[in-house]
Amino acid sequence: MSYARPSDKFLASRGISLVKQLTEDQIDAIKELINIGVGRAASLLNEMVGFPICLEIPFIQVFTVEDLQQELIARFNSNYLATVRLEFSGSINGSAELVFPTESASTLVSILTGEDLGSPDLDAVKIGTLTEVGNIVINGVIGSLGNLLKQRMNYLIPTYTEDTVENLFAAVEPDDSTIVLAQASFTIEQLQVIGDLIFIFELQTFDQLIAAIEEVA
Amino acid sequence: MISVLIVDDAAFSRRMIRKFLQADGYEIWEATNGKEALSIVRDRTPDCLVTDILMPDMNGFELLQTLKEQGLAIPTIIISADIQESSRQRGYNLGAAAFINKPPKEDELRQTVRQVFSF
Repeated sequence: MSYARPSDKFLASRGISLVKQLTEDQIDAIKELINIGVGRAASLLNEMVGFPICLEIPFIQVFTVEDLQQELIARFNSNYLATVRLEFSGSINGSAELVFPTESASTLVSILTGEDLGSPDLDAVKIGTLTEVGNIVINGVIGSLGNLLKQRMNYLIPTYTEDTVENLFAAVEPDDSTIVLAQASFTIEQLQVIGDLIFIFELQTFDQLIAAIEEVA
Repeated sequence: MISVLIVDDAAFSRRMIRKFLQADGYEIWEATNGKEALSIVRDRTPDCLVTDILMPDMNGFELLQTLKEQGLAIPTIIISADIQESSRQRGYNLGAAAFINKPPKEDELRQTVRQVFSF
């Protein structure tokens, strides 16, 4: 299990006792719920692009925003990424992101629209297409989570952004960002497309996620 | 010619749905949100409406609610990425004839539209 326990110092600095609440069984349950949702999302992506999607087992971790930024830069070997973000609220609040290098973003659009974009510049077709792909994929995960836990999720309109990792995650409030993060990586080998699905659950509502899991488990 | 109004803010999805339905010879109209759809419906009533849920300005649920309040009984199919059972139920409660998840499969969509017209 790739659950990284944050340092006591880190937790104490934020008055967080979250890790004490998370048992191995709970982590296992969260991981499985995310896994089921990501599996559905991969199936949807496969339907759209027509190539097999390779998934890595998702991991659950407690991150600071800075940790997350470093993790993404290291994984994609780039500080400039494309992301589709869908914020959700309800009994569980947070955001989900489909993150990939800009080259992967262009390749996906090219496959989906049949158009050779040629230019790396953003245009309406690229933004619209990727936003819709992110919307479908993220709904596959969050909706699946909501269905399994019988929790209603409300969504904001998804947004597409290309920016530095620092800017992409700068808007997250510090108190809300030291949170439980679930990350699942996917690869479309034939297209040389890589990406991550990232879920950031706000600390205040994470207790409710645990409670919901306890009810159904 | 039988007309179908596609309501979706995503051009990618509108294009996909249009392509599938044009194969059956329907006349296709398009709107990018509920408000735009209502504006079109005031001028000419489509035979069928295919709508997304999550859209700016006026979402699909609000569109269905408004049509209901105005007494406009247009057969409506929801096509949404939202896979929540509660959303599906809400759509049916508002009078939707069918609920399909994105990305729509061509056979399923064409069959569903045909069924709408067979009632």
